[in-house]
Amino acid sequence: MIRKWNYIYCLSLLAMIGTACRKPYNPQVISNDNHYLVVEGVVNSGNDSTVISLSRTVKLSEDVRTQAVTNYTVAVEGEQGGNYVLQSQGNGKYEIGPMHLDATKKYRLHITTPEGKEYASDYVEVKQTPPIDSIGFMPKNNALQLYVNTHNAANNTRYYRWDYEETWKFHARYQSDYIVDAITKEVRGRHPDEDVYICFASDKSSTIVLGSSEKLSQDVIFQGPITTIPRNAEKLELRYTILLKQYALTKEAYQFWENLKKNTEQLGSIFDAQPTQLKGNIHNINDPAEPIIGYVSVSSTQSKRVFIDNTQLPQDWIAKYPYDCEQPDSALFFNPKTGIREVEAYIINGGSIPVSAIAPTGFIIGFTYSSESCTVCTIRGRVQKPSFWKEK
Amino acid sequence: MKKIYFLSFCFLILFKLGYAQQNPAASISVNFQQVTIDQFVTELEAKSGYHFYYDPIRFDSLKVTVQVNNKPLETVLDMAFKNTNFHYAIADRQVFLTRGREIQTRLAAGFFGTSPLAKSSPNIITNVPVADFTDEKEKKVPEATTENKLYEIGIKTNTIGSGKATLSGYVRDGKSGESIVGASIYVTNTKTGVATDQFGYFTIVLPKGRQILSIRGIGMRDTRRQIVLYSDGKLIIEMQEQVTSLKEVKISAEKVANVRNVQLGVNRLDIKSIKQVPTVFGEADVLRVVLTLPGVQSVGEATTGFNVRGGSADQNLILLNDATIYNPSHFFGFFSAFNPDVVKEIELYKSSIPERFGGRLSSVLDVTNREGNKKKFTGSAGIGLITSRLNVEGPIVKDKTSFSFGGRITYSDWLLRLLPEAYKHSQASFYDFNLDISHQIDDKNNIYLTGYISKDKFKLNSDTAYNYSNRNANIKWKHNFNDKLFSLITAGVDHYQYGIASFDNPVNAYKLNFDINQTNFKTDFTYYLNRKNTVDFGVSSIYYKLHPGNLQPNNVQSLVVPDVVPSQQALESAAYVGDKYDITDDLSLSAGIRYSLYNYLGPQTVYNYAPNLPKTSSNFLDSTTYAKSKVIKTYSGPEIRVSARYNLGDNTSVKGGYNTLRQYIHLLSNTTAIAPTDVWQLSDPNIKPQYGDQVSLGIYHNLKSNTIETSVEVYYKRLRDYLDYRSGANLVLNHHIENDVLGTEGKAYGIEFLIKKATGKANGWISYTYSRTFLKQNDPNAGELINGGAYYPANFDKPHDFNFIGNYRVSHRFSVSLNVTYSTGRPITLPIAKYVYGGSERVYYSDRNAYRIPDYFRSDFSINIDGNHKVHQLTHNSFTIGVYNLTGRQNAYSAYFTQQAGVISGFKLSIFAKPIPFINYNIRF
Repeated sequence: MIRKWNYIYCLSLLAMIGTACRKPYNPQVISNDNHYLVVEGVVNSGNDSTVISLSRTVKLSEDVRTQAVTNYTVAVEGEQGGNYVLQSQGNGKYEIGPMHLDATKKYRLHITTPEGKEYASDYVEVKQTPPIDSIGFMPKNNALQLYVNTHNAANNTRYYRWDYEETWKFHARYQSDYIVDAITKEVRGRHPDEDVYICFASDKSSTIVLGSSEKLSQDVIFQGPITTIPRNAEKLELRYTILLKQYALTKEAYQFWENLKKNTEQLGSIFDAQPTQLKGNIHNINDPAEPIIGYVSVSSTQSKRVFIDNTQLPQDWIAKYPYDCEQPDSALFFNPKTGIREVEAYIINGGSIPVSAIAPTGFIIGFTYSSESCTVCTIRGRVQKPSFWKEK
Repeated sequence: MKKIYFLSFCFLILFKLGYAQQNPAASISVNFQQVTIDQFVTELEAKSGYHFYYDPIRFDSLKVTVQVNNKPLETVLDMAFKNTNFHYAIADRQVFLTRGREIQTRLAAGFFGTSPLAKSSPNIITNVPVADFTDEKEKKVPEATTENKLYEIGIKTNTIGSGKATLSGYVRDGKSGESIVGASIYVTNTKTGVATDQFGYFTIVLPKGRQILSIRGIGMRDTRRQIVLYSDGKLIIEMQEQVTSLKEVKISAEKVANVRNVQLGVNRLDIKSIKQVPTVFGEADVLRVVLTLPGVQSVGEATTGFNVRGGSADQNLILLNDATIYNPSHFFGFFSAFNPDVVKEIELYKSSIPERFGGRLSSVLDVTNREGNKKKFTGSAGIGLITSRLNVEGPIVKDKTSFSFGGRITYSDWLLRLLPEAYKHSQASFYDFNLDISHQIDDKNNIYLTGYISKDKFKLNSDTAYNYSNRNANIKWKHNFNDKLFSLITAGVDHYQYGIASFDNPVNAYKLNFDINQTNFKTDFTYYLNRKNTVDFGVSSIYYKLHPGNLQPNNVQSLVVPDVVPSQQALESAAYVGDKYDITDDLSLSAGIRYSLYNYLGPQTVYNYAPNLPKTSSNFLDSTTYAKSKVIKTYSGPEIRVSARYNLGDNTSVKGGYNTLRQYIHLLSNTTAIAPTDVWQLSDPNIKPQYGDQVSLGIYHNLKSNTIETSVEVYYKRLRDYLDYRSGANLVLNHHIENDVLGTEGKAYGIEFLIKKATGKANGWISYTYSRTFLKQNDPNAGELINGGAYYPANFDKPHDFNFIGNYRVSHRFSVSLNVTYSTGRPITLPIAKYVYGGSERVYYSDRNAYRIPDYFRSDFSINIDGNHKVHQLTHNSFTIGVYNLTGRQNAYSAYFTQQAGVISGFKLSIFAKPIPFINYNIRF
C-alpha cells in the first residue's frame, strides 16, 4: 500500500515533463547457457486439486517463452509423514486430486530429476484461506476498477494473493448473414450454428495481485485493487465476468511475490528499486548455491465469480472495436459498368465475408462484404457459451 | 583644527605673491635629541629667523631627534618629520606646522584657467599623500577606496622600523557594502598572498614599509592599493563591481589560487558563472553546474543527488550559510533548493576537506548567500516557464545592518493540465524563502542571521499526496579579538521532514511522516601565529533527533494501526586543530587533526544478535532497553587532514594530500536516484559508522599570465561500512533496519584533468575524468554475498566523463554559451534468462551492475542578451534564450525489462528525449 507510490510517482513525473520517451531496448546478446529450474504452483490443502508446473529458464533471445520439464518425479511430503506423488500431465504440469492435508502440520514439495538430482522446498505451514466477501467495481479515471473485499475474523491470514480468469461476451463489427458454402462455393444464408457475430473470449491474469492487512488493526482487505479495464475495452462491450481465486500466504511467501513483482513489473522509473536477486524456498539438496526460481505455498483456495453487465456502466462508455472497419462495400454478381463479376472476384475467391444481401427490387443482385476481422468473432473468441455463463 | 586651516588659508592668500620671491634660506646647524616641539621651534626660530605657526597640543606626542651641520631649514624639517604624520609648509619666512594635513602653498595647476597640466592623465600615481580637506571626521580605520593614494597603516614614526607587521582588514563592495569572500590580496614585493574569509576579512604579515597590494575578487574589478606599513594595523578595502563584463567566467577567486593554495580538489564558482550555464528550464541551477566539475557525477538527469569521487550521494555535506540541507532538490530533482538570485557563490571540497568540516565522507558543498546591500534598496525578479523569483535587499540601518530576502514559487499546474487525462489531475508545487540579515555591531563584532524554508507538495493522479520540507535557521557571531585572533560562533537548528497521506480508501487511509532534527553549535577560531603559521581550531557539537517513521490512520473509519518507529537520538561532537605552515616561500604544509566522538543515546530498545552471524531475525538473541539520555554506544576516532604544496616556479606547483573522514548518519535508499521519501538512519550498536580515507596528488600549472589554468589530480580512496541492501529490503517503517542492510567495502580511484580559461572574450573550462568505483560484500557472517563476494561497480561508476563549458562574449550585451557533456553509461543489472511465472514472462537477473546503459551525450546552447549597461537606470533587464539537449539525443536514463500483457520486453527510458527550448526574463532594480 505504501510502496506503490514509487511507481505512480515515476509515471506522472514522466508524463509531466512530456518529453520523456520509452523506446524498445535490446542490448547486445546477453548469454548465459544455464537453464535454471522454475517451480510454480500452490499445494492445495483443501478439497481442490493441486497443479505444479516445472520448467527451465530460456535465453532472452530465444523465441520460446519457456521450456517445460516433463519427466521429473514430484511429490508432496509431510514433515511428519505422508507422501503424495503427482502425475505428470506431459506439458510440464504435475497434478494430484484433493489431498485434504492436516492444517496443523507442515509440508514440502520434493522433486527428483531422472539424473538423480534432488530438489525440495522448505517445510511450510498450511494457511487457511478465508472466503472472498465480495467483488466490486467502480469507474475511476476513465477505467473500471475491480476490487475485492475479504476479511478473517481470526486476524491470522494477513497476506493475500489473487489470480483470476476473465471471460467476456462480444460481437463482431458487422453481422454476417451469409456464408460461402464450402462445397458449392456459392454464397448462401448462414445456418444458426454458423453464426459468428457473438463470441466469448477469456484471459488469465498476467500480473501479480497482492494484498496485505499487516498494518491494519483488523485482518481486513477493503477494496483491494484487482485489475482495471479501460472504458473503451471490448471486454466491457456487452457482459463481463471474472472468476477470482484467493490464496492465503505466509509472510515469506508474500515477500517473494512482492519481490518478483518489483523485479519484473515495477521497473524502469527513476525512483524504483533496483532489481535484486530473487530468493525462493526451493533448494538443490546437494548444492545450495544452485539458483532455483519459485516459492511453494500450501493453502486452501477460495474463489468467487461475478458478472458485470454493460448496463451497469456509465452510458457514455463506448467500446472501441480493435480493428478499423469501413462501411461494408458492395459487390454485384455482375457489374455492368466494369464488366467484373464482383461477388465471385471479391467474396468467393477474394476471401471477403458477405454481410447482407443487396436486393433493391426484392431480387438479390449482390452482397455487401467486409473483412474477416470485422465480421468473424471467432478469430479472437469462441461462439460456444461457457458452462458457467449466466445471462442477466 | 579648523582654525588652523582657516589661518593657513589666509596666510596663503596674503603671502602668495611673496612666495615666488623667496630666497634660499641660510644654512643652520642643530643637534636635537628627543626634544619637544617647543624646544625644537624655539631653537629653529632663533637660528633661522623664520617664524613658526603651529598648534602645540597637536604636537605634544612629537619627540624630535635630528643632527645636522650647515643644512637649509627645509632639510632639517624634512629629516625631523620624515615618515611621520607631521608636515610643514614654508611661505615667505613663515613656517606652518601641521599634523595629518599638509598645506599646499601653491594653488592647484589650472586654478586660474586652463593649463597643460590639467589635461594630463588623472591616473598618475602620486607618491605624496594628499590630504582630503573635505573629510572632517578622522576615521579609525582607513577606508582605501582609490588606487592612487598612499595609505598609512599603524602608528607613524619618522623612521620605518625593520621587521614585520600584521595588516588585517576587510574587503567590501564599494557599492553595496557587501563583504567580498575569497578575494585575494597579493603582495608583489614579497610574493605572498592571502584570501579573505567567508566574511571578507583577511590578515597578512608583511615587512614594514612601502607595499603594493594587488586585490582580486570574483566579479570585481582588479585593483591595487599602496600602503606604508609602520606597525600592526587595519585597512578596509573597497572594490568596484566589474560592471562591463557581466558574463565573464570567474571560477576561481584568485587567478593564482589554484597554484598557490595548499588545498587540492577545491572548486569555487560564483553565481555569475553558474548563471551562464544553460539548464533545462532556463533557471540557473547551482547543482547542475557542480556536475560539470571534474570528479563530480550523477546517476542520471532528473536527480540532484551527486557523487563526488566515487562517493554516494549521502556522503556530501551540503551547507547553506552553514545550515545543513538534507534535501537539496525541488520538483522531482529538476530544480535545486538554492535560489540563484540569493546565492553568491559555492565552494566544493573534494579532497582537502578543511578540519572545521566533518560528518560526511566524500565532499563538502558550501553554498554562501549574498549579504544584503548595506547602502541602498535593490532587488531582482525573474520569470521562467515554471517558476518566478523575487529578491529584495537593502539596509535596515545604513552601513550597519542589512537584509536580503529571496523567494521562489512555482505555477506549474497549467503545465499539468495540458497533459493527457491520466495525469491531468495531478498537482505539483514548491516554494522556498531565504532571509539573511547581517549586522555590524562595531569594528570587532558582526552578527549574521540566516533563515531558510522550503516546501514541496505533489499529489499525483493517485489518491496519495506527498510533501517534504527543509527548515533551517542559524545565528553567527564573528568576533575579532585582535588583529591576529578571530572567532566565529555558530548556533542553529536544521530540520527536514516528509509526509505521505492517502485519503480515498477509507479503510486504508493513512499518513506517514518522517523527520530529522539537528541542533548544532560550533566555534571556529583562526589565529595568525606569525607570518609562517596560521592556526585554526575549534569545537562543534550536533544533537540529532530522528523520527524514522510514524504511521497513523487518516480518518475515523481507517483501520490502519498506528505504527511508530521509536525516535533515535545521538550527539556528534568534534574538536579540531590545524596549522597552515609556510615552511619556505615555495613549500607550504597544511596539517590538521579532527577528533570526532559520537554517542548514540537513549531512550531506545536495541536488539542483540548472535555474534558472527548475519543480523537477521533468526539470529536475534534478546533486546536491551536504555533509559533517556543514556549513552548506548560510543564511536570515536581521529580524522587526519594533511596537504602540502611545493612551488616549481611562479606558475607551477605540485600538491599532495591525505585525509580520513567518518560519517555517522546514513541515507537509506535502494533506488538508483535519491527519492524524496528516503529515510536517514543514525549509526547504532548494529550499524557501524562509515569510514573513508583518500590520498591525492595534483600538478597545477598556469599559462599566459595566469589566464589559463591547468591541473591534473589523481586520487585513491577507500570506504568501509558503506551500507548496501539485502535483496528485497524494505526500508519504510522498518523497526530493525539492521536486518535489511549490509556493510560493504568500497574503493575508488581516478584521474581528473581540467583546463580553464577564466577571462577574455572566450572563456570556460574543459574537464575530463577517468574514475572507477567498486563495492564488495565478502563477509559471509554479515549475510548474503553480493556477486559472490567479488567487487562490483557502484551505481555511479562512469569511467569516462567529459565536460565542456564555453562562453563567448560577442559584445557587452550579447553572449553565447555552449555546454557539452559526455559520459560512459552507468552500470545496470540486466536479465540473463526468462521464464513464465504468475501468468507472465519474467526475467532472471545477472550479477549486480554487470552491464551498462548506452553512453550519455548532451549539448546545450544559450544566448544571453542584456539590456543596456548604463549603470544608473531604474531597472536592468536581461533575457536568456536557449535549447537544452540541442541534438535531441535520446539518452538512456535507464534500461529495464518489464512485462506487459504477459510478454517481457526491454525498454530504454529517456527523460529529455527532445531538444527543449527555454526562455527566462530577469529584472534587476
